[in-house]
Amino acid sequence: MSALGAVRQVIAYLVLLVVTFLICFPLIWAASTSLKSPKDVMATPPTLLPAEVTIENYRNLVTGKQQYYRADQSYVPTTAAPQHFTSWFANSVIVSLGSTAISILISTLAAYSVTRFRYRGRRIIPYFSLLGYMIPSIILVFPLFLVMAELRLTNSLWSLTFGYVSITLPFCMWLLWAFFRGIPIELEEAAMIDGASRLRVFVDIVLPSAAPGIIAAAIFSLIVSWNDFLFARVFINSIENLPLTVGVMHFFEGTHVDWGLMMASAVLMTVPMAILFMLMQRHLVAGFGAGAVKG
Amino acid sequence: MTIRLEHIWKSFGPVAVLKDVHLELPEREFITLVGPSGCGKTTLLRILAGLESATRGEIWHGDTRVSDLAPGKRDIAMVFQNYALYPHMNVHGNIAYGLKVRGTPKAEIAARVLEVARVLEIESLLGRKPRQLSGGQRQRVALGRAMVRKPWLFLMDEPLSNLDAKLRVTMRGELKRFHMRLETTTVYVTHDQLEAMTMSDKIAVMDHGVVQQYATPAEVYNRPANTFVAGFIGSPPMNFVERAELRGGELALDCGPDGRIAIGASPLPNGFAGETLLGVRPQDLEVRGAPRAGAVPATVTLIQLVGSEKLVEVAFGAAGKLTAQVKADAPVAAGERVWIGFDPAKLHLFEPGSGGNLALR
Repeated sequence: MSALGAVRQVIAYLVLLVVTFLICFPLIWAASTSLKSPKDVMATPPTLLPAEVTIENYRNLVTGKQQYYRADQSYVPTTAAPQHFTSWFANSVIVSLGSTAISILISTLAAYSVTRFRYRGRRIIPYFSLLGYMIPSIILVFPLFLVMAELRLTNSLWSLTFGYVSITLPFCMWLLWAFFRGIPIELEEAAMIDGASRLRVFVDIVLPSAAPGIIAAAIFSLIVSWNDFLFARVFINSIENLPLTVGVMHFFEGTHVDWGLMMASAVLMTVPMAILFMLMQRHLVAGFGAGAVKG
Repeated sequence: MTIRLEHIWKSFGPVAVLKDVHLELPEREFITLVGPSGCGKTTLLRILAGLESATRGEIWHGDTRVSDLAPGKRDIAMVFQNYALYPHMNVHGNIAYGLKVRGTPKAEIAARVLEVARVLEIESLLGRKPRQLSGGQRQRVALGRAMVRKPWLFLMDEPLSNLDAKLRVTMRGELKRFHMRLETTTVYVTHDQLEAMTMSDKIAVMDHGVVQQYATPAEVYNRPANTFVAGFIGSPPMNFVERAELRGGELALDCGPDGRIAIGASPLPNGFAGETLLGVRPQDLEVRGAPRAGAVPATVTLIQLVGSEKLVEVAFGAAGKLTAQVKADAPVAAGERVWIGFDPAKLHLFEPGSGGNLALR
């Protein structure tokens, strides 16, 4: 390698290093803070690493204790309530998995239908579905709230599950539509001649061939529902039914912010998604890539 | 049992792609549907497979009306142009799938897959995925998948067209050998007339959704039903000379400045007289350095060497053109004056308007 090439490479790596640090710093800071004792959290000047490592914050999260502070009970009612980290976490898991399962189930069948069956409007449906995805959720949230109220589903996990399905389903369907179109129809015809029924063809041939697309759609759907704040804020009003995103907001109290608990829950919120991402990264890239080229 | 295609019509919207196709496919024979792209041959094959339904007409296998059955219930097998191997299954899984779907016991599946793999010499590939195979290997797996179910009919949709030229010739021989060994009725679709000629017991030449001729390869070659068949079958293609006149039992060509030249006695048994369209294959022309009675004077315009033969293009008369195939060492050069001799027994005469073969009237 020439000297110029080496210099270029060094510069490139330096830039990457800086960018990586900028992206990672908040995460590192959160992780570090979550391991600090209350004294260290508010230390001036702040320290990057905890003076002494403690898992007190995590223990309190899981046991549901709020260690330091009881706010004035009459002030803001929600802040007075005890924290429900474990229920929030469970709610987030239930709602994310539930909405993803429903989204994927419906979108695979719908996408397969518009690619393989002949009926009026089948060409236009995917475009409409993408259009639906383009509407900002802030516009959708109030009509949806009214619908949920009419269905008597507000303040239940069902409202969130269905709410997330309404956002993720159109995009999942669009993505899978692009995928199914890329599967040669001869594969299905060969299986039919081999004696398989339409359903069997779908399960044995189509689904495995579309697996990267389905994984990509599922991850997309999981992330959207796991990270949502808006719908949860509007649809849910009892503290035990909140998902994590809105729940952890309760660590902000009138006069006090419990940074330790806050950061510990931020870490616990990020870790599942980070692990999922790492495991599925390859499929995700393949999935979005294929969708983009063929769509 | 004979398979009968009875008056099959197929339309896609207003476009009729098959028009009254009526064929009988004798048991154990290798039948080829050949024609240019868009002639309807693949559609006909797909109707046989049950992947398309005919707009009108029926298919019978002996006393069974096949055209009402779903593809999976017909117990036939099909080899696709792109092989259509299941990408997520290995070779064993691909071959076994049809048996598995039909609920064949596991031990029997294993035995039959192994037997087929042995015949096709792909035993060592059973654990591989399709993407790890070469074109020829994929071809064999596709064949194995078709063979393992022991169907009563094989359908093959241009199975060799994705292979390179050399492999195509090898696989052509293999397909023919497999057919001789299995003796399963086979319907083979191709646009390659050479494949059709070399492999088939019978050829159905199709054009514009109509079967132009259905006969043995020799019959199709030697007695083409019309100008389409005559021009499509045979390589290099047949020469056509317009305004060949039959009069008084003699056939004469209009050679412009050289006048009218009688090239021989009429090849027609019936007493047809008048203007005809003459067809003559390049192999049946004689290129002479000196004149003789009945030979047409011409000028060599182009010579193409094709291995042991060469193709000599000549111009004669006002605007006549012919291609002759001669031995590579024949002493002909471009620009030379030559005389083209005809063999009256190997001339084909067609009706100028309809293109029908006058000998078959």
